[in-house]
Amino acid sequence: MKLRTDLVRMYREIHGWVGIVSGLALFIAFYAGAITMFAEPLQRWASPPSRLTPAISLERTPELVEKVLSAHPEAAKAYRINLVIDAAHPARMTWSDGRGREVRSGNAIIHYAAIANDGSLEVVTRGPSPVAQFIDVLHQQVGLPFDHEISMPIMGAIALLYTIAIVSGLVVLLPSLVSDLFALRIGKNLKRMWLDVHNVLGLFSLPFHLVMALTSIVFAFHDEFYDLQGLAFGRVERAARTVAAPGAAERLLPPAEIVAALERQASGFKLRSLDYSRRPDGRTMLRIAGSDERYGMRGPTFGIAEVDPASGKIISRDYLPGHQDGWAATLTSFFALHFGNFGGTPVRWAYFLLGLAGAFLFYTGNLLWIESRRRRERNSTAEQTRSTRILGALTVGVPMGCVAGISVTVAAAKLLGEATTWRIHSEIYYAIFLICVLWALLRGAARSGVDLAIVGALAMLTIPLASLVAGPAWFETADLLAVDGVAMASAAFLLMAARAARRRMTSGPRDSIWAAAASS
Amino acid sequence: MTKRELSSRHWFGKSSAGLVLGLLLAVAMSGLFRKLFGVEEAFFSIKGQLAMWLIAPIWAAVLSFCFLFSSSLRAWIGLAAANAVLWGALWAVGETAR
Repeated sequence: MKLRTDLVRMYREIHGWVGIVSGLALFIAFYAGAITMFAEPLQRWASPPSRLTPAISLERTPELVEKVLSAHPEAAKAYRINLVIDAAHPARMTWSDGRGREVRSGNAIIHYAAIANDGSLEVVTRGPSPVAQFIDVLHQQVGLPFDHEISMPIMGAIALLYTIAIVSGLVVLLPSLVSDLFALRIGKNLKRMWLDVHNVLGLFSLPFHLVMALTSIVFAFHDEFYDLQGLAFGRVERAARTVAAPGAAERLLPPAEIVAALERQASGFKLRSLDYSRRPDGRTMLRIAGSDERYGMRGPTFGIAEVDPASGKIISRDYLPGHQDGWAATLTSFFALHFGNFGGTPVRWAYFLLGLAGAFLFYTGNLLWIESRRRRERNSTAEQTRSTRILGALTVGVPMGCVAGISVTVAAAKLLGEATTWRIHSEIYYAIFLICVLWALLRGAARSGVDLAIVGALAMLTIPLASLVAGPAWFETADLLAVDGVAMASAAFLLMAARAARRRMTSGPRDSIWAAAASS
Repeated sequence: MTKRELSSRHWFGKSSAGLVLGLLLAVAMSGLFRKLFGVEEAFFSIKGQLAMWLIAPIWAAVLSFCFLFSSSLRAWIGLAAANAVLWGALWAVGETAR
């Protein structure tokens, strides 16, 4: 395809700059996001065997609800009945002091309730590990440690730069698309090889990246968008739903009958939890979370049905997978394409690999930037300039710090057991992340590239090690061993990377930032 | 088409036009969607949410392609004109807040 050369040159420069500004943050977002594809099994892997009395049957759940509500009336505001009991959901009934976002970011206490064998109420506030949610928030905030309100606009700005990078990268590639696409020139010219890798990764995962960029802009700015629309077009208050005769005491259908009613109305929707909450008008609202792998879903791993708690009749199918109208299914598809929640485990693995490939894409982008700077600078001085050295060090330190930090904080979940808190996981992650970044800055890109790859491999090995220390009781099901398997494979990969980096350091071009001399 | 060569030197003027006027343009497009499909309530209705989602791709597209204007001034003028047309139309059909 023919494009004006000045246009291509302009977009090449733009691509370089937006890429270099957003690349490292995007690496963290994609690496953590890839792991988030398996947040649920990871949470089961990381959660201690519960010391609660085994959950009572669904049929006897009304007893538990009654006991909780008389001992803790504040729970009536919002509580959950778990239909699937596992390590990540050890209690039949839970409630929280906080609201949605506080719960999701570890800033709320969650109460887990059971009925002891002597019939008394048992409530604990230490529960499953929060490490999977911690990684999810790290992903959402592109690795930033700030509050949600500060991190999200920065993430949104990164997402906008990312979109420009995608468009400009495509424009740059278009003229040579046919000749370059299936060429992977591995050989003497390392820059050529990295460029081929970068191009092929970028082009073949283009739809994935467009989806991620555009959905992330919405995730960052939806409040602002609504506010702008409100300013421009005015606000209309939500039309009140038809309200049944108020005043009369509500008679809630027991959970077991709700489940049976849902089975009749929406078979194939695998129910997970019943969320009861009190509406402003005093009536009870019931939302049922569940999954149906045949369809995309509105939540990361679940869709929602709003149900009349007195009759079990579905009131709203807007977010019920497979029962939506075209508008709602279209809206849901945006979320589903970001979350990769359509099609079950195979699609999750595909997204996992696409996410890792994306992280690698940003890493190769940084490498290319550094190489081309080197070429330009070589003409003036033999030395690497300071900014190129720092950028090179960050290109090693930030990704490896993220990889090592996540590994160790995941492993820590098993060693800390019930003592784990969100805060501890956060401190462990950022401590290791910062040490790696500092190490890279002090030692330079070349040497720290070798060191940190080894550190990353060791960090990966803490995961199976933690499993060994914690013992088999933590393995609720055997498939959780996949977590340890993936960690060991990653450790092997990182050791291979360390060997390659050492070779490059000693026998690569002397004026490269990857040569030992330049970084001393 | 202009004969002037495109270059990334004018990036700030062009991208700020794309950022500000592109966003306004995207909101205007979402307003057209609202008018076309009869959205009344933005936050809870499905169509209202779709109208909100529409802002992101339009904003991002304007921001990505605003560099094709031959100068910063042209970017600001061109996007301002597009905004004027759209917002004028929205005002004419009574979709804007009053």
